[in-house]
Amino acid sequence: MTRILKARNRWSRRELMAFLGSLALLYPICRFASFRVPRKPVPVNISKPVLTNGFLVSSDFVLFDRDGKTWALSRKCTHLGCKLTYHEDNDIFECPCHQSQFNAETGEAIRGPAVKPLVFYPVEKRESDPFYVVIT
Amino acid sequence: MTLAPFSWKEIKWGAWALISLYVSLLSGIVVGLQYDYMTPFYSTTAIDLLVPYGRFFRSLHFYSSQFFLLFSCVHLAAVYWKSEKLNYGEWIQLTATLPIILFLLFTGYILRGDNTGASAGLIAESIIHEIPFLGEILNDLLFSVSDNGLRKVYVHHVITFDFLLLLCAWNHLRIYRVNVGDYRLLLAAMLIFSIFISAPLEPEQLGITYIAGPWFFLGLQELLRYFHPLIAGVAVPGVFLIALFAARPGKDRMNVFLLGMFLWLLIYAVLSCIALLR
Repeated sequence: MTRILKARNRWSRRELMAFLGSLALLYPICRFASFRVPRKPVPVNISKPVLTNGFLVSSDFVLFDRDGKTWALSRKCTHLGCKLTYHEDNDIFECPCHQSQFNAETGEAIRGPAVKPLVFYPVEKRESDPFYVVIT
Repeated sequence: MTLAPFSWKEIKWGAWALISLYVSLLSGIVVGLQYDYMTPFYSTTAIDLLVPYGRFFRSLHFYSSQFFLLFSCVHLAAVYWKSEKLNYGEWIQLTATLPIILFLLFTGYILRGDNTGASAGLIAESIIHEIPFLGEILNDLLFSVSDNGLRKVYVHHVITFDFLLLLCAWNHLRIYRVNVGDYRLLLAAMLIFSIFISAPLEPEQLGITYIAGPWFFLGLQELLRYFHPLIAGVAVPGVFLIALFAARPGKDRMNVFLLGMFLWLLIYAVLSCIALLR
């Protein structure tokens, strides 16, 4: 009797094949759902010929044009992705989530918990409108 | 007429939690009629400022959801010792509703699209990315806010986590029925509360130096300051969950797990206070 009960608890070959077949469907589903369509580069046009105080704060980056140099730093904190605040008085970026700080010229982390430097975005400076094009 | 003396022990916290869930679901449908996940912050602000009774319905949805979580936690504590008759599978099913409820609330925070919500979404994404092997797949399934905006978060908030919640609580809800009419006072209290207290919303501000996350993740936010995201964001909450699953009443060594959970909650409360006072 016990042997019969034990046999009944085991799957039949057909049931096992059906189960494995269902599991096999998981792979294409995961591949489909997890595929990341590459993000299209977005050029951000800035029509200001001169930046007030040498910088411009945008939603995703801060553009600098001073001392003969032009650069744009991402406002995304390299710790956990929060949006950074630029402090003009100290010339640093600070994260409001965990107070990481970054150098505004080099993008390097000067205070943790962030370790990696900020991302630079390519900047094109032009003679006519748009005067700056930042590729994000 | 004399009033019957009020006793905390007689409150059916599970029923209160269920009523709160009903209110949350219904008010969520109302809010969803105006909400647009493509422009989350604009949509949320418009609901508050432009849509007639929008501020009330958003507040009702927000606070009923918070009450649902709180009453569920109290319910678990209140009926813990009576849960001895549950088998292990039933215990896991029911306790699994707690992290699901947390995810429901968390995705709701993200959908606000304000400073707190946007940062919460990015932090969750970063933490999940840290999980070895599965991180990228899990992020693409659950959040993916950087690449796909709030589309997936919206789907999970409206359907996925509700479905999972129903799946886990179905047998329990079939056994313990609730007559909504018996809780008119609770319903009235929630409605009146929502009339006077608005749901929070934090617009982006120039020069902001500190963002406090959702209240139930403040301790986690503080931990992330000192530890690697995998430790603070995955391992530490995971340890609590494992202890909760293992602490089935009547099981051997459940007292050890209970003590562990109590200490965990105590430390978490202290960390939350520190995060709040920053």
